[in-house]
Amino acid sequence: MSSHTHRRYGWVALTATTVLVLTACGGGSETQEQPSTDGEVGGQIRMLVNITDNLTQEKWDELVAPFEEETGVDVVIEGPTGQSVAESFPALLAAGTAPDVIQSIFPTGDTAPEVLDLTEFEWAQETPMVDTYSTDGKINVVGVGTQAQSVLYYNKDLFAEAGIDETPKTWDEFDAALSALDDAGVETPIGFASDWATGVQAQQVWHPQQNVTTPGWQAEVAAGSSDLGEQFLPLFEHISSWIDAGYTVPDDIATDSGTQEAKFIDGEVGIYPMGSWFATTLASSPPEFEVGAFSPPVEDAEAYPGPMGATLASPYMIWNGTDNAPSAAALVEYLVSDEDAILEQAKMDDFSRTGLDTSTNEYSALVQELMDNAPELVVPGNQTVGDLALPVAGFNAKFTELVQQLWLGESADDIAANLSSWYEAEKTE
Amino acid sequence: MTAVDSARGATRAVPPVRARERRPARWRRVGGQLLNGALTLPALIIYVGLMVIPVGYAVYYSFTRYNGIPSQSPEWVGLDNYTRIFSDPAGEMHSSLLVTAVIAIVGSLIVNALALGLALLLQKKTRFNTFGRVVMFYPHVLSALIVGFLWQALLGPQGAINGLLNASVGSTVPFLSNPTVALWTLVGVIIWAQFGVQLILYIAGLQTVSAELQEAARIDGANRTQVFRHVTWPALAPTFTIALVTSLLSLLKAYDVVLGLTNGGPGDATQTWAYEILAVSFANNRVGLACAQAVLLIVIAAVLSFSIMAMRRRADAGAEALS
Repeated sequence: MSSHTHRRYGWVALTATTVLVLTACGGGSETQEQPSTDGEVGGQIRMLVNITDNLTQEKWDELVAPFEEETGVDVVIEGPTGQSVAESFPALLAAGTAPDVIQSIFPTGDTAPEVLDLTEFEWAQETPMVDTYSTDGKINVVGVGTQAQSVLYYNKDLFAEAGIDETPKTWDEFDAALSALDDAGVETPIGFASDWATGVQAQQVWHPQQNVTTPGWQAEVAAGSSDLGEQFLPLFEHISSWIDAGYTVPDDIATDSGTQEAKFIDGEVGIYPMGSWFATTLASSPPEFEVGAFSPPVEDAEAYPGPMGATLASPYMIWNGTDNAPSAAALVEYLVSDEDAILEQAKMDDFSRTGLDTSTNEYSALVQELMDNAPELVVPGNQTVGDLALPVAGFNAKFTELVQQLWLGESADDIAANLSSWYEAEKTE
Repeated sequence: MTAVDSARGATRAVPPVRARERRPARWRRVGGQLLNGALTLPALIIYVGLMVIPVGYAVYYSFTRYNGIPSQSPEWVGLDNYTRIFSDPAGEMHSSLLVTAVIAIVGSLIVNALALGLALLLQKKTRFNTFGRVVMFYPHVLSALIVGFLWQALLGPQGAINGLLNASVGSTVPFLSNPTVALWTLVGVIIWAQFGVQLILYIAGLQTVSAELQEAARIDGANRTQVFRHVTWPALAPTFTIALVTSLLSLLKAYDVVLGLTNGGPGDATQTWAYEILAVSFANNRVGLACAQAVLLIVIAAVLSFSIMAMRRRADAGAEALS
């Protein structure tokens, strides 16, 4: 054997040994124990927040300023290091540099063991939707209010021009309204947008009907007594018929939500499905026409309005590995319990809170009215925590990818079948 | 002492001197080897730390179910992740492989053809050519993500180009909303962003082509095409191999432009393999699956690179045999 071969084997052996030794050491340790929240409040804490046009760094700093003044705690506001908080938090966890408090996302099956159990706190028990987001009674995320998902904003002037006197309650009436808008020359009778918005908007339109047909459908799907694709097949059929009729066109799913919202404000869109946060956008750029809002249709007019799709507004959780748990808990308590802090956050991004008037403008009052009239609040399919969470990750992204294919000519049946196949593949992961 | 002296048995006559001389020589040799080793050590540590260990981890994680959170241990699942990729039960892996293949193969061929053509035009040193080189290289200076957003603003349904088209001819082009057009739009934008580097490689390569040989060929009556085919191209072949391999490897990893331009849409029409790894698998904390996808990407990249280089060597050997 040549010396060259000897050397090569030596390198291979050295490399393999190094890698094996290091990988053997690379296994994780046990999940961290729950840190004590008893102790002195003070020092510095980091809070990872969502930064948007509505939720600016400046507004976050203003929000926590009274808390800092009262407690002496220095709260450092951090925006996401990646595309979003959802992407940044796992990366920061992996790097061992997770922030003390995390805003805007919910725990998932992977991250739930990494966040603090808040069940023991009395203030946590009194936060909105706490039962919906708890798993077997255990609370690891709390929010400041409720964000309505299933809101159909509409242009009253265009409705009047199209001869629509009353907002539709059933699917037949809804189709007739879209047809009337189209006949009246409205450029976009119903405005869908690209990226995440397509899937979210489709679900927003479907929440009431879906929960009328199958209350607690997520639990049925998780138990195997209902098929995920079948749950959404009628929605896909409705959207397909709108595409065939030209009420929405492929360009819509290549138009970002900001542009589509601007088109609505400019009076080019008849109906725009979006969550309650769009009320803040409307308030900052009020259209020249009168805006209305109605709940999505259901099959039977007697069941109208159906359950309102809703999510926890501005969720907060605390990292299990924080070395300043007392201050982190005090900050979260302040953010979700202090009336001034709640109202300040309502101004930043519209939401509702029982027992508190959080309406900051005429548009949020419209949304509040829909919330008040809804028979119940139901959570969407992308909920990742609580007893009603689907046992899969990445639901919204996959749903968006699949539902967009309706605009590309795929049939509703195929999309429903693909959704079921994806679910089956993912839940076995 | 010469070899002849040694052969005459001179070494026996003066053994203590030979021993004294041999020992320091051996020590010097050993010392030299130790010094070489010591000087190599920093580079070796960096190489092992930044290349071998991460790739080793990726290979290891590819056989596990792991979410990337250090406090939760990876669970050994054998070939499950690879089976998932090859069986593709959710119909997402194979389509992204196809998109990546189109981008890598078509993109690298067009990039190299364009870059070579422009290099031939811009090889002479004039003020205009210098300006042209800067302009052509400029897109590569921009971040790929910025390039994606920039072209999205230009080519989107409400973008500047469709606005102009709508105003002038009354119709628009579905650059980003039709799946087939969106894929070719993506290929076009990637080519625009990519070919500056290849252009520089070809310009550098052209400087090494013997001007005397080209002149001799022209004197012998060769026209421009013949000079290029029989003189310039053979001399440029090593540069072409490097340019082809680097562009192919770069396009196999296309991610940032996709994120900025189409975000993988419409539907999954422009989801590349790298997008599938970073925006789907990693984003959903499926580190094990993402690592299996990454390992396959490394293998594909290695096979393609070595194949191109082997073909190049074979072509060289064939040319030498003929001459």
